[in-house]
Amino acid sequence: MEDVNPIPFTFRVIAAVALLVLLVPVGIVVLAGLNSGEYLTFPPEGFSLRWIRNFFVSPTFLPAFKLSFGLALATTLISTFLGTLASIFLTRSTSRSKEFLRAIFFLPVVLPGVVLGIALYVFFIWSNIGLARSLTGLIIGHVLVTMPFVIATVTASLVDLDLSVEEAARSLGASPIQAFTKVTLPLIAPGISAGSIFAFIVSFGQFELTLFLSTPNLQTLPLAIYSSLRYAFEPTAAAAGIFAICLVTVSTLISTRLSNLKKLLSRR
Amino acid sequence: MTDATAATHERTGPAWLKPNLWWLVLPAILFIILFFLIPVISLFLSSFDKAMPGQITFQGNFSLDNYERIFTKSLYYMAIWRSVWIGAVVSAACLIIGYPLAFIIARTLKPGTATLLTILVLSSMQLDMVIRLYGLMVLMGDKGLINSGLMALGIISEPLPLMYNAFGVIVGLVQVTLPFMVLSLIGAIRSINPSLEEAARSLGSTRWHVMRTITWPLSLPGVYAGTLLVFALAISSYVVPALMGGWKVITLPIHIYQQIAEVGRWQFGAAIAAILFITSLFAMGLYILALRRNAGGRV
Repeated sequence: MEDVNPIPFTFRVIAAVALLVLLVPVGIVVLAGLNSGEYLTFPPEGFSLRWIRNFFVSPTFLPAFKLSFGLALATTLISTFLGTLASIFLTRSTSRSKEFLRAIFFLPVVLPGVVLGIALYVFFIWSNIGLARSLTGLIIGHVLVTMPFVIATVTASLVDLDLSVEEAARSLGASPIQAFTKVTLPLIAPGISAGSIFAFIVSFGQFELTLFLSTPNLQTLPLAIYSSLRYAFEPTAAAAGIFAICLVTVSTLISTRLSNLKKLLSRR
Repeated sequence: MTDATAATHERTGPAWLKPNLWWLVLPAILFIILFFLIPVISLFLSSFDKAMPGQITFQGNFSLDNYERIFTKSLYYMAIWRSVWIGAVVSAACLIIGYPLAFIIARTLKPGTATLLTILVLSSMQLDMVIRLYGLMVLMGDKGLINSGLMALGIISEPLPLMYNAFGVIVGLVQVTLPFMVLSLIGAIRSINPSLEEAARSLGSTRWHVMRTITWPLSLPGVYAGTLLVFALAISSYVVPALMGGWKVITLPIHIYQQIAEVGRWQFGAAIAAILFITSLFAMGLYILALRRNAGGRV
């Protein structure tokens, strides 16, 4: 059966190249962060934890990591809340405007990050309501670009939900709120968690938007690594990268467990 | 909506959900209007304002000066052209190396292998872009792994110029956008019934002939979708040209950043942003159309 249409050899080779393109840069960051020399050369000089230690005493990278983490956490909470509520509306409303609304909610991801970044930057300064160069301003920007991911994931889990279980609870005397929190919410909880992890990851790695909205004392991890890359190849940046890689890998594994990966892919 | 009859109830779900549903979506709508629609619309309106360095106020005198400047100064229209051709090369390169990988993921019979490959593609997409570019820069720099390796082996005596040029920018953009291409293609290839390929094979076609005459044409919607998505992402990237091009490959997003953050001519920057946005919106519009056709109206 398997040899009816085997995968051509050339295809296997090119696919291996594609995987290398995707994964080698990540491997190199890990090597650079664990290398004992100042600069990763060929052949590598040896293994050491000095850059990892440097990361913990670094005046830029550790605070940047903490800021990114806190920012992503706050962003996730807000966008999960707003996005989940919006998803319930988008799956249950009979209003004809919901397709239009769905499109509007997805616009922030379609708009190039640079354009959204300057639009917010100019708006914050122009409106003069204290959001320019503030943490709140950063959170607002991040919520804009993470909410679509929450809406997509939560909507997917709501579409699959059998509404009759909620109706059953209602007919047995539960109030709308009770029926929702006791029956529906537990059923769609995996979807909500997966969506919030996506939001966390997107916020943690957000660069182009952050570039316009941050200040020297509001440096996120991607920005800190970016500025170290522009002037020197600091291996401490690679060590910081290792921590980010671990964080994102764990989150990705959890979110793929929670959401049915195959279903998400076939849907879109 | 008081005549919510039993008939509509059956079709659309419980009636109690209907009347007061708008409050659910209201916070998100207000958020989007206040922090997305108003800023973006006013940015585009301001691109028709006269450029006043350092002044973030609306003059209200409509003019096309900014746009005229973009299309008459070679510095700017060359940047449009540069962004577009780099985007085109990146799309083509992603298609060439992404198609086989997507094909293998879509056609692997063992579910474990397919899931593992998908997770590898997804996880590389989710890792912070700047961290991945760090890896590429260590690999491709003048003293980087490739150059130092080739020199240690005596193959070259001078470092190859792999970075701080268009080549470096293209490699960086391919690294960043390849997962989007692969994911667009997987869906399209999966929707092709494998028995079509098997039938052609059993009738004596060669593998390449099957690929060229059956698989490739049927996967075209995914090809269009992936290519346009990658194109839109590539032309609007700031960080890749900034790091991999070392400010020697000036694309549209770099001009925007310079005009706004360094020169303070933000009305002019807004005009460049409008042009960038229209270009990428055009690509995305075509992308959505292709996706619709691909999904048979399901999306």
